[in-house]
Amino acid sequence: MPWNKLGAPDQPQALLKRSLNSTGWLTGLFSVLVCATLLFLHFQAATSDPWKSPRLLALKEKLVLEPKNEALKNQIRRFDYDFRRQFGRRLAMDRSGGWFLLFGALLTTVAAKKVANFNRLLPSPGPVTAVQSAARMQARARGSVALTAGLVTFTLGLVSIAINARLPTIETDGGKTVARIQTDELGAAKPPSSVDLQANWPGFRGWNGNGVTTMTNAPLSWDGKTGRGVGWKTTILAPGHSSPVVWGGQVFVSGATAGKREVFSYDVATGRMLWRCDVAHVPGSPTQLVEVGESTGFAASTGATDGRHLYVIFANGDLAAINFDGSIAWSKALGPIRNSFGHASSLMLWNGVIVIQLDQGESSKTYSKLLALDALTGRIRWERSRPVPASWATPIVIEAAGKAQVIALGEPWVASYSLADGNEFWRANLLQSEIVPSPIFAGGFVIAASPGSKLIAVRADGAGDITKSGVVWNVSGNLPDVTSPVSRGGLIFTADSSGNLTCWEAGSGNKIWEHDLSLEVQASPVIIDDRVLVLTANGVAVQFDAGRAFKELSRSELPDKFIASPAVSNGRIFLRGETNLFCLRSEFAMAKGVLSHAGN
Amino acid sequence: MRCLVIYTFALLAAFLPTANVLAQQRFPPPEFDNGYQIAATTTPTSRAIIFQYLDVVLLAACLAIALWFIYGRRSRRGVFWLSLFSLGYFGFYRKGCVCPIGSPQNIIYGLFHSTYAVPLTVVAFFALPLFVALVGGRAFCAGVCPQGALRDFFLVKPVKVPAWLEHGLGTIPFIFLGAGLAYAATGAGFIICRFDPFVPVFRLSGSLFMLSAGAVFLLTGLFVGRPYCRFLCPYGALLKLASLVSRWKVSVTPDLCIQCRLCENACPYGAMREPAANSAVPIIKLERARLGWLLVLLPGLIAGGALAGSRLSTAAAHLHPGVALAELHLLQQKSPAHYAPMTPEALSLARAERNPAAILAAAADLRRRFRFATALFGGWVGLVFGVKLIALSVRPQRSDYEQDRGACLACARCFSYCPNEAARPGVGPTGNEPVPAVTTLNARGGT
Repeated sequence: MPWNKLGAPDQPQALLKRSLNSTGWLTGLFSVLVCATLLFLHFQAATSDPWKSPRLLALKEKLVLEPKNEALKNQIRRFDYDFRRQFGRRLAMDRSGGWFLLFGALLTTVAAKKVANFNRLLPSPGPVTAVQSAARMQARARGSVALTAGLVTFTLGLVSIAINARLPTIETDGGKTVARIQTDELGAAKPPSSVDLQANWPGFRGWNGNGVTTMTNAPLSWDGKTGRGVGWKTTILAPGHSSPVVWGGQVFVSGATAGKREVFSYDVATGRMLWRCDVAHVPGSPTQLVEVGESTGFAASTGATDGRHLYVIFANGDLAAINFDGSIAWSKALGPIRNSFGHASSLMLWNGVIVIQLDQGESSKTYSKLLALDALTGRIRWERSRPVPASWATPIVIEAAGKAQVIALGEPWVASYSLADGNEFWRANLLQSEIVPSPIFAGGFVIAASPGSKLIAVRADGAGDITKSGVVWNVSGNLPDVTSPVSRGGLIFTADSSGNLTCWEAGSGNKIWEHDLSLEVQASPVIIDDRVLVLTANGVAVQFDAGRAFKELSRSELPDKFIASPAVSNGRIFLRGETNLFCLRSEFAMAKGVLSHAGN
Repeated sequence: MRCLVIYTFALLAAFLPTANVLAQQRFPPPEFDNGYQIAATTTPTSRAIIFQYLDVVLLAACLAIALWFIYGRRSRRGVFWLSLFSLGYFGFYRKGCVCPIGSPQNIIYGLFHSTYAVPLTVVAFFALPLFVALVGGRAFCAGVCPQGALRDFFLVKPVKVPAWLEHGLGTIPFIFLGAGLAYAATGAGFIICRFDPFVPVFRLSGSLFMLSAGAVFLLTGLFVGRPYCRFLCPYGALLKLASLVSRWKVSVTPDLCIQCRLCENACPYGAMREPAANSAVPIIKLERARLGWLLVLLPGLIAGGALAGSRLSTAAAHLHPGVALAELHLLQQKSPAHYAPMTPEALSLARAERNPAAILAAAADLRRRFRFATALFGGWVGLVFGVKLIALSVRPQRSDYEQDRGACLACARCFSYCPNEAARPGVGPTGNEPVPAVTTLNARGGT
């Protein structure tokens, strides 16, 4: 501005000032509008996430039920494409809007600066107050610094209080701290004692996978029609063939469909459902649907518990540790599992380690592996690949030859691995066909059934390939193709799918006796005290003497179909049918509440 | 009242970064059920080394030119056009990175983490402006800093912040610097960069929160000259310290000050100080006692600050990704439903593939480091306030109007206010100055 015309701007300058003023207002208004539009678009996008559109979610739900529906897939793809295009457009609009806003703001500022120059006042020094003014200013400045210090301290203190830290306060350092954090946050109490484990039914076929309970007062018979001996019965709200798991006052079962995986907890005494846990949001869970056989289903694997968590696995490979209040402690995706009939191997829990046998694939191309996870945290301790196709047997852990060994069956190998690091101890080429029966440890030998053909005893102290050196006996006969053997007092009992019961001598493999029930059997037998309980598929439960001669002790019936194996704990037998969970209790125990324990 | 508003705003602005930042929208990957493997994310290659060196050369050249404009040509116009160039190149073209403001964090991170080698360009960006400040004051702030240029451009009608308030708020950059260095040293991240409100403006992209913070600073900057530079910029704090001992200093007139006081309100950044020397007024006992007490209390302030700072470690550690992961783990244990399976946080926890106990142990170790770092930070805060109070207890000695060497941004605005400047042969007003001093004198008929 020419300063010699300060007093009264001439006409062109007044016009220029008005023009600048108008330009400033117009560009300012333009900037405000652009800003408002950008904000509106931002909040609109933030509040209406297209991927949460009820229509899209409904279509996806539908796809779970109709996985082969190509038209539905195309519709979803169209939606997805449209949403991505919208998103791309919005990004482009954001960018263009940003430039518009910037240029609008710059123009507004330039105009405002020019207008401000017109109105600028000339310097007008006031009276001199040098020293007094400086002293006063310093005094105020000190106050201002002190106030700032106070406000900074207050704000930092407030932030410190406001932040809700979940990590516990640490008072010491080094390894002790770590240990305390583990104890505090993860509830790392000692693993349960063997007495606790045996008093409960902590996994598939009991505490050690041998299908034997030390309890003696389980009911001998019951009647589903009259209700005699039936403590309670409750409907299970999701399908599954996994067996019940019992700990303390809770009995757990899992169930699943293609899209939903659940665990249910029931009160042991009353059958009242305590909680149901939806095992969802498992990080990395496979999005594709799992193919399973009709007879296997999505929840065929039995869980395991150590009294702190219940661990469950489903056909899609989702593994979860569930607290006893129904909340999830941790979860992990191990899938997808390439098993054409569906994954059915159950979890084996031993001294805080979960052993999972993930045999999958074909003989020509296998993807099988054995995993050991830290039960407390879910961390994978070790993982070993296995040269076997898909199998459905559950591994067991045995303490033999001074070592904790994981015994896993898979065509054609009976193999032993170190529980500590997964290294293989020994293997024997003995099995054929699809391996479903699980091994047991009896009479100092590993007993494995090659489905329908052979029963084999293998020494557990070998090393390397012991196919020739480690086999103690190898016998043929009516042998199970689905169920697992049980053993007591030097005898082994087997039941095949047709109901043929056979007793074998554990030391020699000699057949002692055979008996044909002529009933379909899918559930593995269990031993209670001195008798064997065989549960047939149509609900007939036969109990016979676990001795050297067949002697039927009782025959009871329940109105359901049974594939899952029985669980026995504290005088109760839990049977999972296709639709119901039954708790069976002896009349005496029901009346008196008396329990007994073998050896006590 | 005006002071109170400015004070409140400035403090709020200073602590804006401590608020939760709105997460940016994230784009979920497509869901394929046909075995399609999503392509791995690729990242752009880093800038060619030759161009990195070019940036350093340009920075050095700009600093040299700035010094020449300030001390040689004494040209506000030159400084202004140089700052526009810097705004275009270092700001909008280089998107505000690499930038000296965040570079102290790289340096300190490199010192505390042996696996990190600080790039030479970053070292140059850190050291060159500081070196220039030791030579000739804050030439970087005047003509080379793109952020300063942007804020300077937006200054329309400057309101004078009272000097006493300026002193109080002027301590905040040192605190922010301390916090930034503490976070960098612990490996928690570069909070100075993360909470820089102007880089999102250069990139036209960022979280709504930071963009809004940038807009708030710019709008405030219409009336309060460069509020971020004066009351928040941590690198400015370093330059301020260097400028205090600079070899050359900016002066309104290179000749004799005639005490006309026309430059009294020339500085929009509150750096002009009036004469204060008066040996006739005796230093009273109270002033001596105050100074003595403050000198005695200084170690106490540092120790108290360190003690209070160590108490902040729990909250401060919250920002570290390692601690955040551990807390996420604990939260997920408590209520898993809080996290959708595809959130980046949940995936990071899933992908950590480590023993959660190890995550917790690592977090505990990090918190211990934070305890040490926050204790140092607290001690630093105590030192800053203590030294500032001591400085304010020493009677200033000035016989002329002159700039506060630390606060002066060397923008060269004040030169044209001096009648002597106009009288210097070949210098004089260039026509674009807002208030040429000679004209003012003529219009007023002399003062």
